[in-house]
Amino acid sequence: MRRPYQIVGGCLLLLATFVAVEALALKYYTKLGPGPGFFSFWLALLLGGLALTMIIQASVGTPEPRPADFFADRIGYLRMGAVVLALVGTTALLDVLGFRLTMFAVYVFLLCALGRQRLLLTLGIALAGSVGVYHVFDRWLRVPLPTGPFGF
Amino acid sequence: MVESFQLLMGGFVTALQPVNLLFALMGCVLGTLIGVLPGVGPAAGTAILIPITVVLDPTAAIIMLAAIYYGAMYGGTITSVLINTPGEAASVITCLDGYQMAKQGRAGPALAIAAIGSFIGGTVATLGLVLIALPLTRFALRFGPPEFFALMVVGLSLVTGLAGKSLVRALISAILGLLIAQIGIDPVMGAPRFTFGKMELLDGFGIVPVVMGLFGIGEILLNAEARTQQVFDTRVSSLIPTTQDLKTSAGPIARGTALGFFLGLIPGIGAIVPTFLAYSVEKRVSKTPEKFGTGMIEGVAGPETANNAYANAALIPLFTLGIPSSPTTAILMGAFMMNGLIPGPALFKEHGEFAWAVIASLYIGNLILVILNLPFIPLWVQVLKIPYSILMTLVLGFSVVGVYSLNSSAFDIGVMLVFGFVGYLFKKLDIPTAPLVLTMVLGPLMERGLRQSLEMSRGDFSILFTRPISAALLAIAVIVILTSTLRAISAVRGADSQV
Repeated sequence: MRRPYQIVGGCLLLLATFVAVEALALKYYTKLGPGPGFFSFWLALLLGGLALTMIIQASVGTPEPRPADFFADRIGYLRMGAVVLALVGTTALLDVLGFRLTMFAVYVFLLCALGRQRLLLTLGIALAGSVGVYHVFDRWLRVPLPTGPFGF
Repeated sequence: MVESFQLLMGGFVTALQPVNLLFALMGCVLGTLIGVLPGVGPAAGTAILIPITVVLDPTAAIIMLAAIYYGAMYGGTITSVLINTPGEAASVITCLDGYQMAKQGRAGPALAIAAIGSFIGGTVATLGLVLIALPLTRFALRFGPPEFFALMVVGLSLVTGLAGKSLVRALISAILGLLIAQIGIDPVMGAPRFTFGKMELLDGFGIVPVVMGLFGIGEILLNAEARTQQVFDTRVSSLIPTTQDLKTSAGPIARGTALGFFLGLIPGIGAIVPTFLAYSVEKRVSKTPEKFGTGMIEGVAGPETANNAYANAALIPLFTLGIPSSPTTAILMGAFMMNGLIPGPALFKEHGEFAWAVIASLYIGNLILVILNLPFIPLWVQVLKIPYSILMTLVLGFSVVGVYSLNSSAFDIGVMLVFGFVGYLFKKLDIPTAPLVLTMVLGPLMERGLRQSLEMSRGDFSILFTRPISAALLAIAVIVILTSTLRAISAVRGADSQV
C-alpha cells in the first residue's frame, strides 16, 4: 500500500496548496478579528502537514499489506461504472425528462446491468420505483418531484 | 429530579398522542429494515428518510427519525445473526457468536436475547438522559461564545478517538470535513467562500447528500465492484430463549448497559467501541472464555445491550450540549436544524415540550422494538432473500429521491455521487469517514464561536484561556489530543520493533 498513500498524499498536498492560495485571496484578518480566509488558511496548512506526514510514513515506514480485494476484476469495474453512469444520467436528465421517465429508465438499466432479472420483475420494480414513488411523494407527502415535457 | 420526571410525564402526554405513536412505530419498522439491509447503515438510512419527515410536525418528525436511528441499531443484529453480515458497524462483533448460534439452530434465542438486552440497555440509558439533561443544560446555559468554541474543540479532539489504524488518516478526514464546511457564505461577514461563482454552493454542501454519498453510494459502489450476491440459507427455529439463556444473559446485559451508557456520554467514541469492549469484558469474566466464538449467548447479550445503551446515551451530548457523537446523531442534528430547532442547552429552555416528548418517545420506541421485532423476524428473513442486485437498485433509487426532494435540486444528486466516490476511496484506503461527517457539522459552529469570541475581545485570543470553563475545556481537548498522539506513536514504535 505504499504507492496508493503516496498518490493520495500528493493529491491532498495539491489540494492544500490550492485552498491556502484561495484563502489568502479572501480577507485573512479584519478590525473585528479573523476574516473569512482565516480558518480556511490554517486548515489548509494543517492538511498540507498531514499530507506530507502521510507521504513520509508511506515512503519510510513498513508498508501496510495491500488487501486482496483492493483492485476489482473487469466485470466488477463495469458494474461500478453502471452505478456511476446511472447517477450521472439521473443528475443530467431528472429536470429534463421528469422523475418518472428518468427513474424508470435508471431502474431498468441498473437491474439489467447489475444482475439480470425476469423482464416482468424488472418492469414491475421500475414502475413501482418511478411511478409508484412519484405518487407517494408528490400526491401523498406533498413533496414535489420534477415533471418532464410529456407530462411525466 | 422531581422536576425532570414531571416534565417527562408531560412529554409522555405528547408522545402518546396517536399520531406521534404511529410515527414512532413507523420509525422503528423502517429503522429495523434499514439495519437489516446490508450496505445501508443507520446514517445513510436516516438521511434517506429525512424527506419523508419534512412534511410532518417537528415533534413527529424527530420522533420518527430517532426511532429510525435506534431501530437500525437493532436491525443490524438480525443480519449479523442470520447471515454473518453486520447490517451496521456496531453489530460486527455479534457475528462471532450470534451466527454460530444460528448455525446450531438457535438464531431465535440469539435474536430474542438481543432484543431484550437492547430494550433494557436503551431504557436505562434514556433514564440517564432524563436525570442528566436538566443539570447539564443549566450548566451549559452559562456558556458564551468562548466556552462554546472550547466545547466544539473538545468535540473535535474526541474525533481522534474514531481513528482506526492511523491517527494521521483520521485527522486528514477531520480536516477535510472542516474544509468542506468552509464552502458557502461566511457565517460572520456574509462573504462567499470557495463557491467559484456557483449559486448552488452558496449554502455549502448539505449534510444529507454528503452522508448519503459517503455511507450509501460508497457502499453500493464497493458491493457492485465485489459482485455481492446475498444468499440466505439459515434456519430460524423457536424464538423463545430458555430459562438458562435468560439466567446466563442477566450479567452481560447489566454490564453492557453500564458500559454502553458511560461510553455514550463521550462524543466521538463511535458505536463499535462499546460493543467490542462489552465482548472483551464478557470473555474476561467468563469461566469458559475459550468457548467464545462458538455460539455463547453472552457474546450476543453483552455487545447488543451495550450497542443500544450507547445509541440512547449518545443522544445526551446531542440534546444537552449540541454535540453529535456519531454520523447518525449528526444527521439527527441536521434534521433538528431543518425543523428550526437547535440542539443544545437552549433546546430545553425554548422548546421544552418538544425535547421531553422526544425523550419520552425513546421509551415508547424501545418498547415498540421489543414487542414488534420478534414477530417480524420471518418478514426480515424474506427481505434477506431478495437478490442483492435488486436491493442495491432500490437503495440507489431511494437515495436519489431522498437527496433530490430536500431542495428540489439535481445538483445534490451530483454531490452525492462525488461523495460516493470519496466514501469508496476512503474505504479502500482505510480512512475513517466518521470524522469527516462530525467535523463538517461541528466546523461552522466552532468557527462562529471563535470569531464571535474574538469580536467580544477585539481580537484578543486570551479570552479563550482566561475564562475558567473555556480554559478547562481547552485543557481537556489538549489532554485528549496528546493522549491519542502518544498512543499512535507507541503503536507505530511497537509495529516497527516487531519487524
